[in-house]
Amino acid sequence: MSFFRVIHWVAWKDLISEVRSRETISSMFFFALIVILVFSFSFSMDQQAARQLIAGIIWVAFAFTGMIGLGKSFAAELQNDCLEQLQISPAPKGAVYLGKLTANLVFMLLVEIILFPMFVIFFNLDVVEQLPLLLLIFVLATWGLSTVGTLFSAMTVQIRAREVMLPILLLPLAVPVMIAAVEATRGALSASPLDLYQQWLQLLAVFDVVFTVLSFWAFEWIVDS
Amino acid sequence: MTRLYVRWSVILVAGIVLAALASQYHARHLAALTPETVVATSPTGTAIRVIGMVQGGTLEGEVATGSLRFQLGGAHDVLPVQYQGPPPENLRELKTLVVIGRWIPETRTFVAHDLGLVANYGFVMAAYLAALIPLGLFVFGMERRVSLLYRDIKESKIYEPEASVHVDGT
Amino acid sequence: MISLVIKRLQRYEGWVGGAAALCLVTGLYLGLIASPPDYYQGEVVRIMYVHVPLAHTAMLAYGVLFGASIWYLWKRDPIVDNLAHAAAGISAFFTAAALVTGSIWAKPTWNTWWTWDARLVSFAVMFLILAGYLMMRTFVDDPEREARYAAVLAIVGFADLPIVHFSVEWWRTLHQPLSISMRGVSMSGEILVPLSVMSTGFTLLFGYMLMVRTQMLYLTRLLQAKKGRLLSHAHVAQSGPQVGSQPSSAH
Repeated sequence: MSFFRVIHWVAWKDLISEVRSRETISSMFFFALIVILVFSFSFSMDQQAARQLIAGIIWVAFAFTGMIGLGKSFAAELQNDCLEQLQISPAPKGAVYLGKLTANLVFMLLVEIILFPMFVIFFNLDVVEQLPLLLLIFVLATWGLSTVGTLFSAMTVQIRAREVMLPILLLPLAVPVMIAAVEATRGALSASPLDLYQQWLQLLAVFDVVFTVLSFWAFEWIVDS
Repeated sequence: MTRLYVRWSVILVAGIVLAALASQYHARHLAALTPETVVATSPTGTAIRVIGMVQGGTLEGEVATGSLRFQLGGAHDVLPVQYQGPPPENLRELKTLVVIGRWIPETRTFVAHDLGLVANYGFVMAAYLAALIPLGLFVFGMERRVSLLYRDIKESKIYEPEASVHVDGT
Repeated sequence: MISLVIKRLQRYEGWVGGAAALCLVTGLYLGLIASPPDYYQGEVVRIMYVHVPLAHTAMLAYGVLFGASIWYLWKRDPIVDNLAHAAAGISAFFTAAALVTGSIWAKPTWNTWWTWDARLVSFAVMFLILAGYLMMRTFVDDPEREARYAAVLAIVGFADLPIVHFSVEWWRTLHQPLSISMRGVSMSGEILVPLSVMSTGFTLLFGYMLMVRTQMLYLTRLLQAKKGRLLSHAHVAQSGPQVGSQPSSAH
């Protein structure tokens, strides 16, 4: 199978199985709702404070929700020895990685797109003009989390204490993504001029490229048997 | 194994001796009394160290000649200080410092001939101990574990019967 | 049966350790007794003589971890994996010590226990990455897979650190315009000499600890392998003929 067909096939498989079972997306969605609720109790917010904190709250919610999706990404392969078959198949492993990455990216983005209007409603945000920019920020940051997240998900799926190891390994490495995402989102939500926070978008783009390449290479070593 | 324990006992003893010397040095040269203690106990001696804060509005005298008078305050008491010595560079009101001199009970003043730095020895000692003690424990633990492992390997007789391998375990 | 490399480590470790002890004692004397207090910071500058070498050695240890990880993926030598594991443990310890001493230094100098400075945050993230690395190694059952995963984790983590540093640096200039007066230390020759001696001493100490810890990890694995506790390849490098089994020196 050619490289791009493998990517397409792996991503399509994950997406189709999700459409049929809907379990990953629904668990991510309800988890995120609970996180938003807990946060709204933790901070007593007036309009001024809300604007300062909301970007951070959004990204904490997205990050922890993303952990769930990333964790499930390879956990599903444990059944029926799919993981072993992945290891011995002649398909280029890098392509499998990219396929998984695409699927995870789509799942996380879907959840974020469903959730963001809830944020707008609950916290009374005014965002209509910045929607394309916000979408760009979401895509870049989610991509960043998914690159290393997919790699670590493959790494942790076969070890003990898998659910706790994924956040422990992923979150320290994702610090630049979190900082950049929060700063860029805050800039967009407060309608600041773009050049004030465009450096963060550039940082996200650099992170994405660097870690996609690095994880693409590293994935071979992880699923090599 | 014994060489390991001997080595570390020496290090431990050296550390304790150093600590004793250091605390002795501290008591003799670096520790300072408070104004309350001076007023209460009237200590004798020519190099008494007192730590306190220069009270606002009490600093008088000429910096250039090195002749100054001020009130040195502690938690409750205030000590009148007469300073005669080298011109002090950074003597200001509301500054905490150490004065070195004698206590005159008759006039109830403190005649100081030198000023000292308020040194944060506590922090320095805390940092060094926080770094060196865990380090020592860590290295000791590693060395001991290695000695035990060599001994275990030797005892479990897992070597080739043909060539006798001399496992050098301390 | 015990690899020649390990035997050589055992023979020379004493020399390195002795040199380290000599340097450290000299450095401690110079730093604590012989050198004068700093003009701005007073006595507290002496903490620098232990904090800066700890930080530098922690970073050196992480560099060794990175190099050993790449070397392992290239050559698959189990002793190199032991070396990487040893370097990670030592680096984690030194990073924690650097953070603690840095915090103790910050309190009298800047009147705060912690500041969101780029270097301090990078160090904290580095510690978390190392802690994750060490944790992960204990959770993997197969030693060969453990070594592979660990090497990948170390390389990815190392690549991330500069990016972490930059992002925190930018973030900090945004939110905390230098309100804390970051007056440096007046770098005179009197400060430099104890600092260099302590740095050399700590580097030698790191070398010594690396030699000891590599032996410890190697011997633990050897003992497990010989006692049959490992089901898969022993993943231990050995020298000399084995009775009845094949040398399993490489995967």
